[in-house]
Amino acid sequence: MSSHAEPHEPGAFEHHGPPPIHYSSRVSPAVLGMFLFIASEIMLFGAFFTVYFFDRVVNKPFNGHWPPEGFHRPVYVALINTLILVSSSATMHWADTSIKKGNRAGLQAGLVLTLCLGATFLATQVIEYHRLGFATKDTSFASTFFGLTGLHGAHVFVGLTILLVMTIRAFRGHFSPEHHHGVEIGGIYWHFVDVMWIVVYVTVYLL
Amino acid sequence: MTELHEHHTAPARTGIRRLTGPGWLRVLWVTPIFFGIGVGLPVLIRWLAHWHPVWKGSVILTVELVTVPLGFLVGIGGFDYWAHYASGRPTVEDDHSSHGAKSWRDYFRVNTDHKVIGIQYVVTTIIFFCIGGLLAMLFRAELAQPGDQYFNPQTFNVLVSNHAALMIFLFVIPAFAGLGNYVIPLMLGAADMAFPRLNALSFWLLPMAGLMLVAGMVTPGGGPSAGWTCYAPLCSHQPLGQVFFNMGVQWAGASSIMTALNFLVTIITMRAPGMTFWRMPLLVWANFTTSLLVVIATPFIAGSQFFVMFDRVLHTHFFEPGGGGYVLGYQHIFWFYSHPAVYIMMLPGFGIISEVIAVMSRKPVFGYRLMALSLMAILVLGFSVWAHHMFVAGMAGWLRVPMMVTSMVIAVPTGIKIFSWLATMWEGRIHFTTPMLFALGFLSMFVIGGLSGIYLASVPIDIHASDTYFIVAHIHYVLFGGSVFTIFAGIYYWFPKMTGRMYDERLGKLHFWLTFIGFNLTFFPMHYIGLQGMPRRVADYAGRFADINLFISIASFGLGASTLVFLYNMAKSWKHGEPAGGNPWRALTLEWQVSSPPPIFNFDEIPQVVGHPYEYGVPGAKHAIFGAPKPEPVGTD
Ligand SMILES: [Cu+2]
Repeated sequence: MSSHAEPHEPGAFEHHGPPPIHYSSRVSPAVLGMFLFIASEIMLFGAFFTVYFFDRVVNKPFNGHWPPEGFHRPVYVALINTLILVSSSATMHWADTSIKKGNRAGLQAGLVLTLCLGATFLATQVIEYHRLGFATKDTSFASTFFGLTGLHGAHVFVGLTILLVMTIRAFRGHFSPEHHHGVEIGGIYWHFVDVMWIVVYVTVYLL
Repeated sequence: MTELHEHHTAPARTGIRRLTGPGWLRVLWVTPIFFGIGVGLPVLIRWLAHWHPVWKGSVILTVELVTVPLGFLVGIGGFDYWAHYASGRPTVEDDHSSHGAKSWRDYFRVNTDHKVIGIQYVVTTIIFFCIGGLLAMLFRAELAQPGDQYFNPQTFNVLVSNHAALMIFLFVIPAFAGLGNYVIPLMLGAADMAFPRLNALSFWLLPMAGLMLVAGMVTPGGGPSAGWTCYAPLCSHQPLGQVFFNMGVQWAGASSIMTALNFLVTIITMRAPGMTFWRMPLLVWANFTTSLLVVIATPFIAGSQFFVMFDRVLHTHFFEPGGGGYVLGYQHIFWFYSHPAVYIMMLPGFGIISEVIAVMSRKPVFGYRLMALSLMAILVLGFSVWAHHMFVAGMAGWLRVPMMVTSMVIAVPTGIKIFSWLATMWEGRIHFTTPMLFALGFLSMFVIGGLSGIYLASVPIDIHASDTYFIVAHIHYVLFGGSVFTIFAGIYYWFPKMTGRMYDERLGKLHFWLTFIGFNLTFFPMHYIGLQGMPRRVADYAGRFADINLFISIASFGLGASTLVFLYNMAKSWKHGEPAGGNPWRALTLEWQVSSPPPIFNFDEIPQVVGHPYEYGVPGAKHAIFGAPKPEPVGTD
């Protein structure tokens, strides 16, 4: 209110912007936002795990056979795919630590490797879908199988999009040891996608 | 005073650049492109995968309901900043050209000012409130006498389903988001929300969602008539309009998750120096807990709507018993969101009432910390009661009693709040302004709704009253007498702040009394006919309920008409009302310490918070000081 009474010089509003932001927490807004978003994502996966639980454990269909007779899960292909995704977390971590040390080549190499591994994972999944021998319309086993792996695949796709943006920016030289928020936040998301896959893999393929 | 705060705007676009710049012109050509993608993508995939038929209407429609809104958002400019970032160009310092409103046109574009977004929200939601209310009056006309008059049973159920869905997803929840948007940064002493662009985007999802629900009603082949609860497997076998419903709920849910995330980050990271958690106004506390609920619970309704939609479009068997699906799973997942949603629709209202009652009674809020803690208690308990909606659904019997007990326990923190408000008013110097009248109306009506809620929590009474008008009466006493009254209280209370003008107090009081009386005449008799056994969601009914239904229908038209007084008052006062001044209520919270409407960046300098927000009548008490020589560093609590 006080400033309304101030004499107002012409041109004074040329540089008028918001007052300097006062941060009341040590956590940066973007990182906090990403963690809250991930909390919400975990709950979305939670809904898919819940329907899986109801369909399989509470309902006990197919005379107790899960998967129903005649259905086979490609456990070993998925295991190799799991290893691919887990190693992509390692390369992501490498990219992240590299830029913190100012190693731009490490950042670029790490991001490109992560991108390739992630894309391989997704491609393998698409091919696997095609060769499964069952489709979404075949029983609640197939519904939950495609539901959980499909939801996860969609997240891999989103993660890859974020990584692609980060890679473009990395090659344009935008990140530095002081400014690498984008890599850090994209990295958090990618690690989340990887950890989620391990839970999905164990539930859908192994149990 | 706002003209002092004008700033540079981007140079006006001319020629071809008007078509490429963000705005409605770009919407006109980008949306059709996305429409094309929505047709092409599923067809291409189905063709490549050798699925037949290649053209499948329900699949294409589902994809369209994702791509067309995306096209609109791209056109209007919701993604411009991120597209710029993704292209790898250097980030530019924000020129604030998308911030603030100088004419009415600025309300029709992507605007990053939380005050503009707040008003966009409130106005949009009131439009959907009116549409939802008109739907209710249509089916009340049908119910005025037994037999089929105007609508066949299918259409009747479409009206009922969409009335509920619009009121819940397009009015109550986003109206609170709008009021919170306007007030929270001001109350915290911040210049804006933590993520202004995300804020703008989450608003623009909302009209999309609303249009989708409305479009679902008029879809060829029939609208969604499975109720707002959309139970499986009924919901998966509805006419095509149901897909609009499923996707509309998804967009509204996405919008509310994004807003909640923004509120949480803003409240945690953007508080002014000295604004500790225990100095925050209760409205901020209320939105903090609500936002936690939204972030945790809303993904479950997203999931539930995906499943019923996949059951229809992809022929999955999530809830189809024929293929090993579990029907009741839907209800568990749905209510795991939708019971907490009751608090999503109520807690922000609690916050508004705390503000209004303290200011209008000129007394500190009684038991401030307990008020905040009871919000947290409701948040936690709210996740443990969902199956009280399923007592007659055939779920596992052992779940009944635990759910009954938790449902009753949740009345304790709610009761604490009621007694705190009463104690706040006790011996206060009460000013019976319109917001205060609505607050008092809320208190009395919410107690009635809360009491019938305790009845319904007990298993035997619930079994008797399930799916009768007793439920309709209960839900309206908590959602209309509760939430809607608090929204009205909030709108009247902050109207002077938002517009800089005072509403017409006489018309405001008239609106309150018409609403209060019309509301009770409409919904109180429903308790009675419900216990007598009149089922809800049925177009026809037994002749012995005829007189009382005619009475209810007439009362409901009166209730609907009372909204006209509100709309007239708002429109007239916005243009011609008395100038309100910065602080017409002599309130202490920060939003009242700046001009009305506030300067474009809220504060010319960030205030220093030195005390509690509700010390009315305490000599020498101060909430905040402006122009403090040097702000002390604040602890990170
Ligand atoms: Cu409930």
